[in-house]
Amino acid sequence: MVSSEGERRNRFESVVAEVYDPLQRYLRRRTSGEDASDALADVLLTVWRRLDEVPEEAVLPWSYGVARRTLANQRRSAARHLRLVSRLETERPVVVDDPADSLEDPELATALATLPAPDQEVLRLWAWEQLEPREIALALGSTANAVSLRLSRARNKLADALTRQDPSGTGHIGDGNAEENQR
Amino acid sequence: MTDQLRERLARLDPMHPGVDTEPLTTKSSRDLLEGIMSSPVTEQPPAAPEPKSNRWLVGVAAAVVLVVAVGGAIALTGDGEDPVASGPPLELNAAGEDPMAMCIMFSVEELAKMEVAFEGTATSVEGETVTLDVDEWFKGGDAGQVVLHAPAGMGALIAGFPFEVGGQYLITAFDGNVNYCGFSGPSTPEFRTAFEQAFGA
Repeated sequence: MVSSEGERRNRFESVVAEVYDPLQRYLRRRTSGEDASDALADVLLTVWRRLDEVPEEAVLPWSYGVARRTLANQRRSAARHLRLVSRLETERPVVVDDPADSLEDPELATALATLPAPDQEVLRLWAWEQLEPREIALALGSTANAVSLRLSRARNKLADALTRQDPSGTGHIGDGNAEENQR
Repeated sequence: MTDQLRERLARLDPMHPGVDTEPLTTKSSRDLLEGIMSSPVTEQPPAAPEPKSNRWLVGVAAAVVLVVAVGGAIALTGDGEDPVASGPPLELNAAGEDPMAMCIMFSVEELAKMEVAFEGTATSVEGETVTLDVDEWFKGGDAGQVVLHAPAGMGALIAGFPFEVGGQYLITAFDGNVNYCGFSGPSTPEFRTAFEQAFGA
């Protein structure tokens, strides 16, 4: 329990020092610049209000959980707006970024994009945020067991998707030579 | 091998450690933090719930009861109000007519009327009880786990399709009752897209 105002500010500052950089990365990986800035402010405001609930040993995964819900709310609002707009227009397909535009490893990016969104997200939290299953569980509001299961299945699906793209097997995930696989 | 995959995926990261972020010490960062620290600690009351549609689903899947486990935690109320964020789970059972009767043709518009919608992974399937870990809430809750109960003898009919441990499902409920007839089922990319369109996730 944080008692005095001074203590509360100190605790907040120490939490922010830990999460400020990784939260910005988390948000900018998942939304555009301006929305990421708005979301960052919302997340930090939630952290400030719920400071007593922040788990000492898992500040960052907990903050990712707040960020996940903040982005979900942001998207719901955006979708409501979009639905209003779309009623005034003829239906048109949703434009999505082409994952093959990723220069680094287009095959892997394309394979990743074929997975269901929850599988993609668990893989991102694992590889980009560098979280372990119990931390991913905290960020997703799930359990470590379920996350381990999901992560394992997601890795298998990714491997299958890579194989489908490149049946010769040169695109195998385990070879670690992504650059050579880009032709 | 998993380490290699992790490294290969990490190379796709658009915000890898080489990309700069706003430092904590800049004026804009400090202004943001000072603004937050001078704001009241108590949260604003939640926005008023959206108006709910009427009970067009009476009779659909009435025999299946949805209980949301405490821990996150919400309990479903039976009168169409928004879920409450605390308290013990409330078990509900509506009077059961033929659960397969009155199925309505699937559409995103009808899907959007559901009060509860989530995607979850089945972690246990025992008789008439299925426990799901919630992967994503689309509407009506924030609990980490949801337990589906069917009345005795109806285990095989929970939501009208077989649950398997590790399987991923998209579930909706109305008035505390799981809907099937196409409104719940194993997660597929197409079904998920419908959920995203319906609930704007």
